[in-house]
Amino acid sequence: MAKQIFRLKVNGDNYEVFVEPNRCLHEVIRDEIGLTGTKEGCGTGDCGACTLWINGAPVTSCLMLVGEGEGAEVTTIEGLARDGELHPVQKAFIQHGALQCGFCIPGMIMSAAALLRDNPHPSELEIRQGIAGNLCRCTGYTKIVEAIEAVAAGSR
Amino acid sequence: MTTTYRSVHQRQPRLEGAAKVTGGTVYTADLRLHRMVHAKALRAPYAHALIKRLDVSKARAYPGVVGVFTAADLPQHLPRDGANRLHTVLADKEVMYYGQPVAAVVADEASVAEEALDLIEVEYQELPAVLDILDALKQDAPPVRHSMAGIDRSELAAHTTLAAADEQTTEKTPPNVTHRMVWSRGDVERAFKEADVVVERSFRASWTHQGYIEPMSGIVDCDRNGDYTVWTSTQGDFTTREGLAKVLGVPETKVRVNFVEMGGGFGAKIQPFGAVLPAIIARILRRPVKYIFSRSEDLRSADPSSQAYIETKLAAKKDGAFTAFKARAVYDSGSFPGSPLMAGANLLGAYYKFPNLEIEGLEVITNRVSQGALRAPGTPQATFAIESTVDIMAKELGMDPLELRIKNAVTQGDLMPNGRAFSKIGLVEVLQRFKETSFWKNRNGKPSANGKKVGVGFAVGGWLGGGSPSSASVELNADGTVSVMVGANDVTGTNTSFAQIVSEALGLPIERINVKTGDTSLAPYAGVSAGSKTLRTVGLSVQRAAQDALDQMFKIVSERLECSSEDLESVDGQIRVKGSPEKAITFELLGTMSTGFGSPTPVILGRGNVGTPAAAPGFTIQGAKVEVDPETGEVNILDAVCVQDVGFAINPLSVEGQIQGGVAQSLGLGFSEEMVWDDKGVLRNPTLLDYRIPTALDLPRIETALVEVPVEGAGPYGAKGVGEPPIAAGAAALVNAVSDAVGARVYTLPATSERILAALGKLPG
Amino acid sequence: MNDFEYRAPASVSEAVALLVEKGERARVLAGGTDLIVQLRGGRFTLDRMVDVKGVPELNQLRYDAAEGLVVGAAVPCYRIYEDELVAAHYPALVDAARIIGGIQIQGRASLGGNLCNASPSGDSIGALIALEATAVIAGPGETRSVPVEQFCTAPGRSVLGPGELLVALRLPPPKPRSGAHYLRFIPRYEMDIAIVSAGVAAVLSPDMSSFVSARVALGAVAPTPLFVTEAGAALAGKPISEESIALAAEAARQAARPINDMRGTVEQRRHLAAVLTTRALRGAVARAKGEQVNGH
Repeated sequence: MAKQIFRLKVNGDNYEVFVEPNRCLHEVIRDEIGLTGTKEGCGTGDCGACTLWINGAPVTSCLMLVGEGEGAEVTTIEGLARDGELHPVQKAFIQHGALQCGFCIPGMIMSAAALLRDNPHPSELEIRQGIAGNLCRCTGYTKIVEAIEAVAAGSR
Repeated sequence: MTTTYRSVHQRQPRLEGAAKVTGGTVYTADLRLHRMVHAKALRAPYAHALIKRLDVSKARAYPGVVGVFTAADLPQHLPRDGANRLHTVLADKEVMYYGQPVAAVVADEASVAEEALDLIEVEYQELPAVLDILDALKQDAPPVRHSMAGIDRSELAAHTTLAAADEQTTEKTPPNVTHRMVWSRGDVERAFKEADVVVERSFRASWTHQGYIEPMSGIVDCDRNGDYTVWTSTQGDFTTREGLAKVLGVPETKVRVNFVEMGGGFGAKIQPFGAVLPAIIARILRRPVKYIFSRSEDLRSADPSSQAYIETKLAAKKDGAFTAFKARAVYDSGSFPGSPLMAGANLLGAYYKFPNLEIEGLEVITNRVSQGALRAPGTPQATFAIESTVDIMAKELGMDPLELRIKNAVTQGDLMPNGRAFSKIGLVEVLQRFKETSFWKNRNGKPSANGKKVGVGFAVGGWLGGGSPSSASVELNADGTVSVMVGANDVTGTNTSFAQIVSEALGLPIERINVKTGDTSLAPYAGVSAGSKTLRTVGLSVQRAAQDALDQMFKIVSERLECSSEDLESVDGQIRVKGSPEKAITFELLGTMSTGFGSPTPVILGRGNVGTPAAAPGFTIQGAKVEVDPETGEVNILDAVCVQDVGFAINPLSVEGQIQGGVAQSLGLGFSEEMVWDDKGVLRNPTLLDYRIPTALDLPRIETALVEVPVEGAGPYGAKGVGEPPIAAGAAALVNAVSDAVGARVYTLPATSERILAALGKLPG
Repeated sequence: MNDFEYRAPASVSEAVALLVEKGERARVLAGGTDLIVQLRGGRFTLDRMVDVKGVPELNQLRYDAAEGLVVGAAVPCYRIYEDELVAAHYPALVDAARIIGGIQIQGRASLGGNLCNASPSGDSIGALIALEATAVIAGPGETRSVPVEQFCTAPGRSVLGPGELLVALRLPPPKPRSGAHYLRFIPRYEMDIAIVSAGVAAVLSPDMSSFVSARVALGAVAPTPLFVTEAGAALAGKPISEESIALAAEAARQAARPINDMRGTVEQRRHLAAVLTTRALRGAVARAKGEQVNGH
């Protein structure tokens, strides 16, 4: 099938990409746009490493075709820090030792930041629900939960 | 004696954290090179088969395909060694496990390579597959494979230091038994006769997967000089170099492995499985070749952790003293020999004092993917067996299970099954500390409700700790900052801890220290990051290199200030005379002096290199509090704790994190993780949907308590390995907790809801 | 994934025309959380992907006391569980919508897609059957309605013909003194496929002492989601008691005809069918009485 032009808006920047329509959004963002912070861990929506925001909602971008991203505000991990200042969740993850190998971290942070935006003072259960779609194999989640709690406490 | 530390023993956030939280950290799949092509593998749909016909002509003709390779195309590029999986890149006439690569397609785009795989025609003749571990022990079992020469034990050696075992293979050995060993002391049979209580049981642990989130991946280029450049997701750049050089038959000087961040390995990425295939193809094509496993490939055909079958027999006197332990441990190695049998069999009898002991160990091969290391390889299986047995013994004796363990726990001088004596260890200290944890104090906190049953269980675990020689360099830069170079892959924050060690040694703020893992053509050598040894081995080299650099600086300063080196101290970035802080030379000045044009001062370059340091076994006790629904078998983990002797916590923040991760994995092995094959040897759950890694909702907050029983010389400041002990005991603790809750015991890991229901007699048949 | 064309129609008629043109070689894309996985796994190939998320009818979510609830086929799960009217009148639907995948999946996956995927274990289907939902189907011919319990015909197969498209699900307004509950059993707390699920709705007598009627649906115990009429029949007219519930649970256990697979065994599934039916019935009764009942 012939390649098509797709128009994407990622982190506020407009891109035109010329790709096959069967390409998934995370592949296009990684390979064509060059933002490789969005990871592929499974390709089946089970690990959450490819989590980014579509109009602010966290989604697993490996389950989206490139065409589905047209007309949407796409936000990736690279777009979370503003004006050179890390997002509070990013800072907290470093400070609280919530990261180890780091591969799940971009997706994890996108889920955590969306959670705190919509629910600034979540319970531990709500935090765990908010990141249950993001598998982490290094941390056992304890320090991730603590980092998210610290951000919530800081905004009180 | 209390020592105050400025840098070590402090909670130090990761120095590379900002890159990791912003998506800036580069992993292998993130890299693209000019002229790069993509490789994909065709994988066998059978567990055991002969390849009768393999026709790749249509795939070769597919537009965009650069090359198609089969075993027949490789002999001139790849010396054969049937016992070593690294040399068996593509199945050669015989398929030995489901998912074994049969052919590789290389194309300009990964999607094209994948499409072309469908055009390869293969005709298989199915052969009988040996799958069950007990079937594999049978004398009349069909052979799993035909080539059996030369058992490769290099990986195990990387993990642990074990005495050579008594290896016996006789004519009568069944065809799929690849290793048999026996350790014994005393007279077990007599002790069983004289015992007050004897407990005899058998256990099984399933195949499990390391579950790293970054799939296996590699990029290899080969230029016209025959020089290879490698980027791969690995735990060891130098072991990757060694493995590739051997497989390719080239000197190690021709292979340069670059450090890239690894998205989790847990033992799976010791061998360069992600790099061998692209290396061989790069040799043929002289182009960079990228090879990324799909998740399904990773689950089907990487190197997961082996299943085990373990029989135990434990004797005790009425007062709780253990008098004899007899066990038979069978580890399944998959289709290539090399299981963690010896590590597992040794730890099986290493936690307690057993005056009389007999352990028989057997390794079998089956038609499954070859096994690899998974964090304390062989240990969770063995720990499940011994720690379930000890719990049953406590019940039979009517004794408190913790007091029974304390009574029999090994201490310095006690013998392991392999005949070696323990050096200074902290098991008893760990068991005592357990009583002070919140977990222990709250163990009776929540009553059973809604028909659900609450139970508490715990288990001892340990890891002897691997070791290998290492080296490091510490160099003063012109601006007074310090560059540290190591060859160790930073898997768990070791580079941050190295910076702490250098900061402590030099009295220099950590912000002015930069630790980098160099590529293998530049970096000082270090072994693979595995076996809980990186920080304690390479850390010693780093410490020595820092001291060496400091000595060099002291020499220069003592000449300049006309004083003795002994009168100097290094504080806050300057070297000064003790008691006269105004007499000082800053690191900046020393940096300028030692690098300046025409300066007579030599460059400050500290070197540290050490052999394998003293062994430092690390012990742990882990507890789990569970709520079990006896109608469904559902387990909800309410509390979890790990008390561990870490010797000395260089960075408590990362030590805790690593322990919590290990506990999480161990609990996964306990209740949800299992590779499920059908009766033909086809993996039924090759997705992260059905291979169930615990999610954040499945786990509680994991409490950690660090015990510090330092062993001098074992690691910097007496640090011990941290990574492995926490995976040893969680599964066993969970099963003991389930048993405490519902009064029925599960003898197979994981303790799934179905197995719990069956143990409760709620499922017919 | 094979090559295909991507189209995003703006109306039902345009969508149908795009589907008719390619027949079996076209597929409807809503959230894609099943479809993309299947495509990538090589389960099927196609020539045209028709993304219906831009079609207004498929995005409606509307409650009316007289008409009941209309859920557009592409409405993602999170909109269902965040909707206060849905939560007030159809808590069992919220039970189901909340447990499909994690947050990221719930932002994409739809009840309509879940139904069209026609998995025996589809998480919303049992709840929809219990709630007497009907599927509104557009196509080259007349628009038609099919009760959800008749929608799935085999694993991955449904009554949808070539060129047909699920537009919406219609749920009647809840009856007085009725309650419904949906439960599933999975090995982890989230991210899993049901080993067994049970959707139950019950209508109670005016004095709240007996069952007027009940609907019981089971998932993952048969080739399609199973509407267990015997269980409902066992309850009609019976007093509200553990004995009555046990009769229905036994009927559910008998009706279950599961298979062994990597997620569960026949014996385990039969056993769980009875346990979940019992618990979902208790939950439905409690909700009918106006009590708060949590989902899973």
